[in-house]
Amino acid sequence: MRELSPVSMDAPAPARRLTLAGPVRPAAPAAAVPFRHLTALWVQITGTWCNLQCAHCINASGPREPWLAPLDAEAVRRAVLEAAALGVKEIYFTGGEPFLHPEVMPLLAFALERAPTTILTNGTLVGEAMADRLAALAGRARYSLELRVSLDHPERERNDAVRGPGAFDRALAAIRRLDARGLLPILTATETDRSTEPLYDRLRALLLATGVRKPRVKILPLYPAGRMDGRGGGRVTAAMVEQVGAERLQCSEARAVAAGGVYACPILAGLPEARLGATLAEALTANRLTHPACLVCWETGSSCRNA
Amino acid sequence: MIAPCRMTEPHAVRRIAVFGGVYSNAHALAAMLADARGRDVDAIFCLGDLGGFGPHPDRVFPLLRDAGVRVIQGNYDRAIALGHDDCGCGYTDPRDNHFARVSYAYTLGRTASEHRRWMAALPGHRRLTLGGGTALLCHGSPRAISEFLWESTTPDDFVARLLDEAQADVILCTHSGIKWHRRLADGRHLVNVGVIGRPENDGTPRVWYTVLTAEPGRELDVEFVPVGYDHEALAREMEREGLPPEFADTVRTGWWTSCLEVLPARERARGRF
Repeated sequence: MRELSPVSMDAPAPARRLTLAGPVRPAAPAAAVPFRHLTALWVQITGTWCNLQCAHCINASGPREPWLAPLDAEAVRRAVLEAAALGVKEIYFTGGEPFLHPEVMPLLAFALERAPTTILTNGTLVGEAMADRLAALAGRARYSLELRVSLDHPERERNDAVRGPGAFDRALAAIRRLDARGLLPILTATETDRSTEPLYDRLRALLLATGVRKPRVKILPLYPAGRMDGRGGGRVTAAMVEQVGAERLQCSEARAVAAGGVYACPILAGLPEARLGATLAEALTANRLTHPACLVCWETGSSCRNA
Repeated sequence: MIAPCRMTEPHAVRRIAVFGGVYSNAHALAAMLADARGRDVDAIFCLGDLGGFGPHPDRVFPLLRDAGVRVIQGNYDRAIALGHDDCGCGYTDPRDNHFARVSYAYTLGRTASEHRRWMAALPGHRRLTLGGGTALLCHGSPRAISEFLWESTTPDDFVARLLDEAQADVILCTHSGIKWHRRLADGRHLVNVGVIGRPENDGTPRVWYTVLTAEPGRELDVEFVPVGYDHEALAREMEREGLPPEFADTVRTGWWTSCLEVLPARERARGRF
């Protein structure tokens, strides 16, 4: 297989994931995925406010004037309580970079009292003191605290070409700090590079070489959303959903709370076409697969959840 | 041939033994059944996953039949019965996938068609009257045969919802491989009964099953019972059958060497790998 170069702002669209698996008539209506139950609540706590500006970011986060505003603490608490009352199984804090939120730690503690909670971070703000605080929180929490640290490529230069200068070293340092405290972070990579040796194995080897004894790796596909908007197309039809089973699609059991309402999934949070209501209760309804990113979910069977 | 059991048990029971995850470990199954016979139980239930991991998959069926064990279908049983491509655990780690493929191909190739037909007919759930309450027996969770319920990632509100939807006072499940028990403030229970086919990643070769006792007017008693067995004989059989040496290591040491990716941070932290 040809090795694709890392994604950059000017790079051509990567081919494999972002092409149609079969012919789809453009006129075919978008499929509707029935809502089953709320397994995962995603909370876009910092909106698209981030201290990095990655080339493939699914929601075009960055340091300047986020198009999707952060949530205030009260909105986060309200969403957590509403989800807990619905019997949610897992909570995820994402953004943007969640550690930019001034109240991230009390909010994390609040969520962990009710459900296992995962925070998705680029690791740049996880210094020694923050790692200590997270370890203390995990130690007293009733449920599991999970940390996902984003790092896209096992080579520093290739990673930083996508995520920005210094991102590789800072993410790896965060992983080391968390691992040293027994928090077992999950290295989470977007598949921006497809060489012959699987990315999973290369990232696992990187972690082992770094001294991480229990390496955990999660790979996500590239989505044609955010900075990759327009890099793929096609529509998921009802027949296609029937083929794989609606329950395999995460919008059947997840919702994302962000500024402006509740959305079908974390990838599409903030987009008007994915908005399902003002509250969770309103948003527990069928979702129409209108966005090109839905096709990637359908093709790959990928889940944004930890496992 | 074992006759398929009804989904709703006709008689109320007071004390039952429940286990899951046999994983072709006939040695542990025999030891566990002998132990349960000495505990004055009204019935013995198996929550599925009869094959995988261990050697000689056909050896567990006569033991289950002779002991009158009432079995429900696990994801592995369903996959083997229907000849699926894989066990349906959905691993993403290439190493876990490799081990899962080896184990699945071995089991599929050595399970008699008679036993595959029997597994195909097993119920996915059972409902019984335990003491004064209703217990729902399932494999992964009441809503999904392959759902993992770990102690650290199964919150109370979620358990309450499962119990509401199942219209049950007690849910009994397995699938994840590590036992645990949650009693809600309202007195309802979820018990992951553990597995007898593989140690639970605690550094000892023992395996676990569960005895539940429901005396009228008293709190449900949940006892996790450790079972020792000739694990060295099992490990040697696995080696003779050409199963991955990592599997035999797990049997001897009690530490998991595969399927690690599905463990939450807290459960993973307790193991060696």
